[in-house]
Amino acid sequence: MRLGNRRKKLILLTVVMALIFIAIYAFGILIPEEEIAGSFLEARRPPSPSHPFGTDALGRDLLLRTFKGLSVSLTVGFAASAVSAVIAILVGIGAAAGARWVDGVMNWVIDLVMGVPHTILIILISFSAGRGLKGLLIGIAATHWCSLARLIRGEVLQLQSQPYIAVSRKLGKSSGWILVHHLLPHLLPQFFVGLILMLPHAILHEASISFLGFGLPPEQPAIGIILSESMGYLSAGLWWPALLPGLTLVLLVLLVDNLGEQLQKLLDPSSAQE
Amino acid sequence: MRLKHGSFKTKKLQGILLAALLAVSASACQKNTAPDHTSVGQEDGKASETRDSVVIAIGSEPETLDPTQGWGHGNSPIVQSTLVRYRADLTFENDLADSYQLSEDGLTWRFTLREDAFFTDGEPVKAGDVAFTLETAKAAQGSVDLTYMEKAEAVDDRTVEITLSQPTSIFLNTLASIGIVPEHAYGEDYGRSPVGSGPYKLTEWKPQEQLIFTANEDYYDGAPSIKQVTVVFMSEDAALAAVQAGKVDVAYSSATLGTTQVKGYYVEAIPSADNRGFTLPVLPNQGKTTQSGAPIGNDVTCNLEIRQAIAYAIDRQLVAETVLNGFGCPAYSENDGMPWNNPEVKIETDVDYAKKLLKDAGWADTDGDGIVERDGQKAEFSCVYPAGDSVRQAVAMAAAEQALAVGIKIQVEGVSWDEIMERMFSEAVMMGWGSSIPNETYYLYRSEGALLDDFYNPEGYGSDVTDRYLKEAMEAPSAEEANRCWQKVQWDGTNGTAMKGACPWVWIVNLDHVTYVRDGLSIGEQPIHGHGHGLPLIQNLKDWTWE
Repeated sequence: MRLGNRRKKLILLTVVMALIFIAIYAFGILIPEEEIAGSFLEARRPPSPSHPFGTDALGRDLLLRTFKGLSVSLTVGFAASAVSAVIAILVGIGAAAGARWVDGVMNWVIDLVMGVPHTILIILISFSAGRGLKGLLIGIAATHWCSLARLIRGEVLQLQSQPYIAVSRKLGKSSGWILVHHLLPHLLPQFFVGLILMLPHAILHEASISFLGFGLPPEQPAIGIILSESMGYLSAGLWWPALLPGLTLVLLVLLVDNLGEQLQKLLDPSSAQE
Repeated sequence: MRLKHGSFKTKKLQGILLAALLAVSASACQKNTAPDHTSVGQEDGKASETRDSVVIAIGSEPETLDPTQGWGHGNSPIVQSTLVRYRADLTFENDLADSYQLSEDGLTWRFTLREDAFFTDGEPVKAGDVAFTLETAKAAQGSVDLTYMEKAEAVDDRTVEITLSQPTSIFLNTLASIGIVPEHAYGEDYGRSPVGSGPYKLTEWKPQEQLIFTANEDYYDGAPSIKQVTVVFMSEDAALAAVQAGKVDVAYSSATLGTTQVKGYYVEAIPSADNRGFTLPVLPNQGKTTQSGAPIGNDVTCNLEIRQAIAYAIDRQLVAETVLNGFGCPAYSENDGMPWNNPEVKIETDVDYAKKLLKDAGWADTDGDGIVERDGQKAEFSCVYPAGDSVRQAVAMAAAEQALAVGIKIQVEGVSWDEIMERMFSEAVMMGWGSSIPNETYYLYRSEGALLDDFYNPEGYGSDVTDRYLKEAMEAPSAEEANRCWQKVQWDGTNGTAMKGACPWVWIVNLDHVTYVRDGLSIGEQPIHGHGHGLPLIQNLKDWTWE
């Protein structure tokens, strides 16, 4: 019964998530440039029926700008997480299945990357890669794979001591065959959970790096840009440019995180039977 | 298994929190530098029972306090004193000079110094120091242009003779911005620990934090009534927050923030020649580059009708009222309201005329996208501004919106100054200039100065007619005569740099320098401010008083 509930809940959540994603993407992409441009005669309007999120100091509608920004954030988040997760699985398997020295090197690299705070590392990478969308993507992708890689490495090590893998080996199966037929199927759930849990992290990083001015250019509608611009007007009493887009970002991130959690509980054998 | 997953998830969540925290704390570091060093100010505020100190927040830190390197350029260097200085109405009065004469041929200036002027280390100000200062400034080739000066030499302790290679009507203006440095106490780090004969002396300089000046009690014009001045550097919004917290006495603010009322403070909108406008490349793109490799020319803005159409399409009054909240006025030239400004440069907004200009030149919107084109060339170009400058961004976007109404698309982009330096010769820039001296007209329009890295003439403008008037203005025997020539540079009836002439610039607005001042403090009669992020404010510090 509970299992059914959880499954139902998850399916529902997944559908809702998928719909929200598609809606945000579609909405973001369908908003024409002219709509975002706004008009300087409409500047600094508080939320109203015609501008539900109000307008910013340059007269741009904040609702449209927020959603355009979210679609950019999602793109960055998805692309960076996917690349990161692929790196993680390659490094994880390589470390666990390769020679001892490979494992040593991989672990050293993981320690190295994890030893530097993410934000600073992303700023450095993004800056040297020419900032903008490209810099952010490279920066986030290059920093987010470590914990997932470590997890996968542990998993592989544990799997390799399992009797059925030992049997396969005794039967003369090659490492490649074992990898494809035994290891990868086992690792896929971890991979997806890791990917989804990485997404909110990546989105927030995109926003914070842009907020600090090392990410996207100031004309690009992005949550980080909107928030950082809004800081300049907080003391002048403009609360809506900071609050409403910020809340929207938090809601989206919570939603994705929740999805990841549900998925994890379901896929994890020890909790799946609860 | 479960444990591992658990830890993985907590890690992730921690990471998310950490990212958010880092973003918040990093921004806090950036913006909250204010309370740290204004705590000094607060103590001052408490001690101000006697009311003889002020804390001033301005936007940017001076690079140096060495006048030969540019300190005081266009303002007055409060640590040093100058030979002559401006009155509030921009005429000259003697400062260090007791008197001066100019020879018949306009080439030799002879200054006699006053006897009661001393540097703060006790040494008297001598003619040798004046000659040393001018020669050093000339050799430095900084923002003080003395290329027209042949030599400066001391005749005796009180007399200095300056020989020019050509008559130069702006020489007094230049002198009014060069503080005299002591030859005996001048060295490598003079810019950081200056000694001068001005109304104030530097007591402490904490880079990126604050400057503390104390009154020079022996100042020959009488010790100033404000004894201690702390200048802190912060962004406009941090400054406003500091005002709201009552931590500073005077704060430089901006047109976008100045509408906020703060109890215990009044807002002083100081008129300025600090203007904002587009520089539009007047040369076509022929694949040429500057020495540093930056591309030159733009095939859209090189057309006069495009530049003029933009000029006529913009409703400057509307921009001043909405974007600047009324803290500003329409700009029609680099020096509106100055004695050397030609009132003829003024134009009326006329959208129909702008459209007609385009139409007559063959520009038409054939594909219905709202942007005009001619021979396959769309009337479309980029305009860059320094990212983070909210006023420039807002002015540029408002102007772009109005230009679009006549079919010209201007893509506004915020970039770094480094990038602006690479793009300013081939794209429009939302530039700011303006100073209260006529020198600026000379530097903005001389063809010799075209396409240099100094931001004066990135559009590549040059004209023989203009050069001739500039030369006449420079060589004019009197200020009145010079002013007439400066006016002709702008518009002589048929030609000129004005928007109805060659239009290398589309001027949009002059900003008021919005300043919060604590009730009870008078900041004197402020002369018209030039371009500068709050620094012009302190040029008349010696006239400030508490009630």
